[in-house]
Amino acid sequence: MRPAAHSPHLAGLLLALAACGSGARPPARGPIAFPDDAGRAVTLAAPARRIVSLAPSFTEILFALGAGDRVVGRTTWCDYPAAALAVPSVGDGLNPNVEAVAAQHPDFVALYRSTLDETAAAQLARLGIPAALVRQDRLADVAHAARLLGRAIGDATRGDSLAAAIDTFLAAPPPVPTTRVAFVVWDNPPIVIGAGSYLDELARLAGASNVFHDLGSASAEVSLETLAARDPDVIVVLADSTQAPAFAAKREWQSVRAVHERRFVYLVGSLFGRPNPRMRAAVAEFRRRLQAAR
Amino acid sequence: MKWLALIALALASLVCAVMLGPSHVPTAELFSSPIVRDLRLPRALLAFLVGGALGTAGASLQALVRNPLADPYLLGLSGGAGLGAVAAIALHLAGPWALPLAAFAGALGAMGLVYRLGLVGGAELDPRVLILAGVAVGAFAAAVTTALVSLSDATELRNAFLWLWGGLSGASWDTVRVMAIYTPLPLAVLYAAARPLDLLALGDEPARHLGADVERVKRRVYVAASLLTAAAVAVSGVIGFVGLIVPHVMRTLWGHHHRTLLPAAFLGGGTLLALADTLARTAIAPRELPVGIVTALVGVPVFTLLLRRWTTA
Repeated sequence: MRPAAHSPHLAGLLLALAACGSGARPPARGPIAFPDDAGRAVTLAAPARRIVSLAPSFTEILFALGAGDRVVGRTTWCDYPAAALAVPSVGDGLNPNVEAVAAQHPDFVALYRSTLDETAAAQLARLGIPAALVRQDRLADVAHAARLLGRAIGDATRGDSLAAAIDTFLAAPPPVPTTRVAFVVWDNPPIVIGAGSYLDELARLAGASNVFHDLGSASAEVSLETLAARDPDVIVVLADSTQAPAFAAKREWQSVRAVHERRFVYLVGSLFGRPNPRMRAAVAEFRRRLQAAR
Repeated sequence: MKWLALIALALASLVCAVMLGPSHVPTAELFSSPIVRDLRLPRALLAFLVGGALGTAGASLQALVRNPLADPYLLGLSGGAGLGAVAAIALHLAGPWALPLAAFAGALGAMGLVYRLGLVGGAELDPRVLILAGVAVGAFAAAVTTALVSLSDATELRNAFLWLWGGLSGASWDTVRVMAIYTPLPLAVLYAAARPLDLLALGDEPARHLGADVERVKRRVYVAASLLTAAAVAVSGVIGFVGLIVPHVMRTLWGHHHRTLLPAAFLGGGTLLALADTLARTAIAPRELPVGIVTALVGVPVFTLLLRRWTTA
């Protein structure tokens, strides 16, 4: 197993050297080292050629950086771009199946930063597979991940330019909010999105304000009473269909005016279910849907 | 005097639950506010009914299995209800009543299975076998539930666990009505068995000698307490500690006679849960705490104090 795992390294090194000789884009030379978001030092012998991407947004970023052909493993949830579906799935991204990941003989694994995944990163390190734990909770984290993954694939220039485009987009002043929204993720108990989530940011960029912006966490359990009292104009739900959510039929939910008046905005999971480089399209789509719902 | 105090406390807990909430409702608008009328009031009443049902079921089951650790969920009902609820979500059963009905069916399934296993040794319900069967069925159901959750792609299943941990956010006048119509019958059956339950504390044989129809009483109490618990789980998930602690507290205050213990456990359970839910809604508002956490945080220290008093007395 070991020699097999090492040969891609060698191939990668040769390719990198060849690219160096041609003098096209100056790729990183020799070992690549950078710290990940858990403060671990990640060292790659050469630009990554066989990558297992353990978060849908990493997969999107890698494809956006033109490194889609280097992705040799993805999660069940990686559904964009369509070409990613051709990559073999290794199962869940959170608390991944390390054996399934290792079976793809990766020379680099990108993991979502969470305590669950730190164990996996340590296990991969013991197998000699470099892995990076990368934050992916806010929109700015996408730019950060683009920089980091750009380095890992030996194309920092491209990663930095994608990151710069995202930073510019995020730095533009948001429109004056005209719609007050609440994101309802679950109904019993009611769970809503707070300021800690990228969805709160997307709402702000789309000209809406989240009525639960005062909650610092990404999501939180609240009383139905609080939701009724804060009285959002529309309820936003992440759903792939435009069928009214189950709670719309529940009696106690009729106390929430937007539910009673059936003012729902549906956001599809593949575009809105995670922070991703398509955030400009997501914001435009969100704004369209908000206008249609008012 | 004790009764007056308990009734006053029960009423006070309901008043608290209606007056206090995460959003500000001026006292003058208390009766006209839709938030109070449609959300707080039914939730306070549901909390009281569920707490009362759990307290009574716990007191009866502790007498039935002659085990102070017995609580309404000991006999596998929570596991069965959880399996039912998760199956309903996994199968995308629609409708506002799908989840409570599935949980209720799951709890009844577990009850039937445990009952059948309890009769394994013969025609008599053996409390020890009953407890073991309850633990086994509960563990099995929990395992199947976890397997369903981890194998299914439905992300909403992860949230099903939140429902299982218990909460009263599903309260509406509909659920209150269902509980108000449903609970009196099993409560009456348990109350009617108060005297034989006293005798049962002496052991099966002595109770039989003193004229109790031991087998019939055990079966009735088991079924009635389980039906109460199943309904409570269906409308509010698994709320721990109420059914365990309240009967013990009431026993120290009212003694071991079930004729007084059962109503006291009902009022005490209702009061505790109404207060705990008020705390859950307001303590970290606008966020809400799962009520089961509050009952544990409040219940366990009280219980520890009681244990100290018992062991030093």
